[in-house]
Amino acid sequence: MTALRFGYGTNGFANHRLDDALEVIAGLGYSGVALTLDHGHLDPYAPGLVRQLTRVHRRLSALGLGAVVETGARYLLDPWHKHAPTLLDPEPERRAHRLDFLTRAVHIASELGAEAVSLWSGTPDPGMPEEEAWDLLVEGCAALTEVARQSGVRLGFEPEPGMLVADLDGYERLRNALGDPDAFGLTLDVGHCRCLEYDSPADCVRRAAPWLVNIQIEDMRRGVHEHLEFGEGEVDFPSVLQALTEVGYRGLVAVELPRHSHSAPQTAWRSLDALRAASAPPWTTKARDQLGSDPASITRLFPVAARSVGPDPALGEATRIQLLQALPGTGAELASVLMELYDGGDTAERIAVLRALPLLDQAGRVEAHAKGLVEDALRTNDARLVAAAVGPYAARRLDQEQWRQAVLKCVFLGVPLDVVAGLARRRDPELDRMFAAFAAERIAAGRQVPADVRRQLDPDSPA
Amino acid sequence: MRIFDPHIHMTSRTTDDYRAMQAAGVRALVEPAFWLGQPRTSVGSFTDYFDALLGWEPYRAAQYGIQHFCALALNPKEANDERCSPVLDELPRYLLKDRVVAVGEIGFDLMTEAEERAFILQLGLAKESGLPALVHTPHRDKAVGTARTLELVKASGIGPGRVLVDHLNEVTVPLVADSGCWMGFSIYPDTKMTPDRMVRILQDHGTSRVLVNSAADWGHSDPLLTFVTASAMRAAGFTENDVDQVLWRNPVEFYAQSGRLTLDHVSEVGSPSDTSEYAGNSVRRGGS
Repeated sequence: MTALRFGYGTNGFANHRLDDALEVIAGLGYSGVALTLDHGHLDPYAPGLVRQLTRVHRRLSALGLGAVVETGARYLLDPWHKHAPTLLDPEPERRAHRLDFLTRAVHIASELGAEAVSLWSGTPDPGMPEEEAWDLLVEGCAALTEVARQSGVRLGFEPEPGMLVADLDGYERLRNALGDPDAFGLTLDVGHCRCLEYDSPADCVRRAAPWLVNIQIEDMRRGVHEHLEFGEGEVDFPSVLQALTEVGYRGLVAVELPRHSHSAPQTAWRSLDALRAASAPPWTTKARDQLGSDPASITRLFPVAARSVGPDPALGEATRIQLLQALPGTGAELASVLMELYDGGDTAERIAVLRALPLLDQAGRVEAHAKGLVEDALRTNDARLVAAAVGPYAARRLDQEQWRQAVLKCVFLGVPLDVVAGLARRRDPELDRMFAAFAAERIAAGRQVPADVRRQLDPDSPA
Repeated sequence: MRIFDPHIHMTSRTTDDYRAMQAAGVRALVEPAFWLGQPRTSVGSFTDYFDALLGWEPYRAAQYGIQHFCALALNPKEANDERCSPVLDELPRYLLKDRVVAVGEIGFDLMTEAEERAFILQLGLAKESGLPALVHTPHRDKAVGTARTLELVKASGIGPGRVLVDHLNEVTVPLVADSGCWMGFSIYPDTKMTPDRMVRILQDHGTSRVLVNSAADWGHSDPLLTFVTASAMRAAGFTENDVDQVLWRNPVEFYAQSGRLTLDHVSEVGSPSDTSEYAGNSVRRGGS
């Protein structure tokens, strides 16, 4: 079984720099981001966009994050009117503005290697006849579909409660009107299905399967368009996730909680927990139960966890992390169990322990007690272990001297600096001196200075 | 062509060997645990070794486009040393690991009681953990050792199809052929078995249940003798299909019985590939 790929919407990280949001989202264990182009995150009208795109693309690939581009920013185009203008605007120039923005989004998606560009219809002005609104929508979508086709990017049109196209019937009507083009896919919001579709969310997934390019997910109640954290609404997530697996969906399943930016890291952390629990194979559920009554069984369960849930290494790692989260205890006590598993583990087990640290730390369960594991991993010459060690836990817990050495070791081993958490925050003149000395040694030897180091020394250095 | 070396001790070899093996078509191998050429003096020396077989060595192999799996055990020689035998208590937790595809090398060296105890116990561990067993046959008094080996295998209740009896020669091969166990041949520069002798055995016994390995280690040995044997097979009129069966499909079938042989795709026409570098950066020297 291939694991579903969970992502998180950056519109739920509106109070974070994009770079920091990516660090947290990857650090928690997400596989992707739904990236909302907005004033603070890849503003498509900002100067220097091209260079920023190169940087973000590099960072996404280093962190192993997939991406979809979302275009639902509230006040990006018009500071006075939310979500305006839309493709349904009565004024041609204003419609053209939306289309220009969407076209830029397609090009950005292409630069980022993103899997889809999401868009919605908008709400027609009161008084505009429905037929006219549909004509405008078809016209705009047709133009954009052509742009997308030429750029090799798939669109994901999203039915949005309250808008002209609010449900799957509306999407199918629009798709037909466009002549059923391949590039015109569907973004399905699972919460919206609960809010207003006739079918259950799981049945909506089955119905939409042929066109699905993007999934947004959150909880919701019938008839109330409010994006809720998992467990606060009425959606039956196991059945939805099961349906996504059944239909062989390979895209991102990204959490859409745009009103939770104030608590983004905690909300994202709880959300991933909920999604993993709701999609866990039976083996995992059983193993977690067993850990509840017999915590010592971890030494037997942990090594076999990956192959017990199938051949997908990502699912194997996620499963191991779930087992670690199910362990009782905190602080030094929990850290000593982690140390035992790490010491007795093969490389994949060690990496799973390292990747669980930011989650356990975020839950306030290990603090600095597991620092020894990171130190051990940093002593190895295995680039995979070193890359797993320089995540958010190291950024938070290593002292400055250790942390600088870790960064330099990454350069030495060829681990991309884009995987290093907190580089911008913790970087200091001494690290800059070390970078410069490293470069000087290379130049003296007539050898190449790695691009990562060149960029650190000179932000204007070509990629 | 593609080669699976079912028995080779890579911890004793250099990266030059990995490079040459890759160029010759080796895409996967199994490294069984054995002794170091000098005695170990503690259990810790074993666990460090096992950890390397599960961590650093597969990583090293991957840098050269070779998939590395291992077999773990207390080897026959050190089964006689009471400083080493307590490693048997550590083995069960190691046999759970994903990249362990067999218990081995087990079997006889001097045919002592201690060796027999460890052998029987480890056949039992193989059975319990659902792993096949890789059995070493002694270098001296081989025929007697092989006969006793087959008796113990039979008594253990592990299916003969889950046992590979290794280091066979002209004298011992008929015994093993009749037992239903798999037949392993270690091709050495001039001792255990040579490519030309191997070809004659294949002509006599056919290609089924036969595995060819280099068993290369820290001694006089050659990791490319699997490749040389393939060439000798072709020169003697064996087809590409026969060569692929002996040097790839047979070892894959044997170790796949573990349920843990997760091979990344290898095309039948192995081509040099260099895709295993980490994120496009070479870590071949473990740093530069």
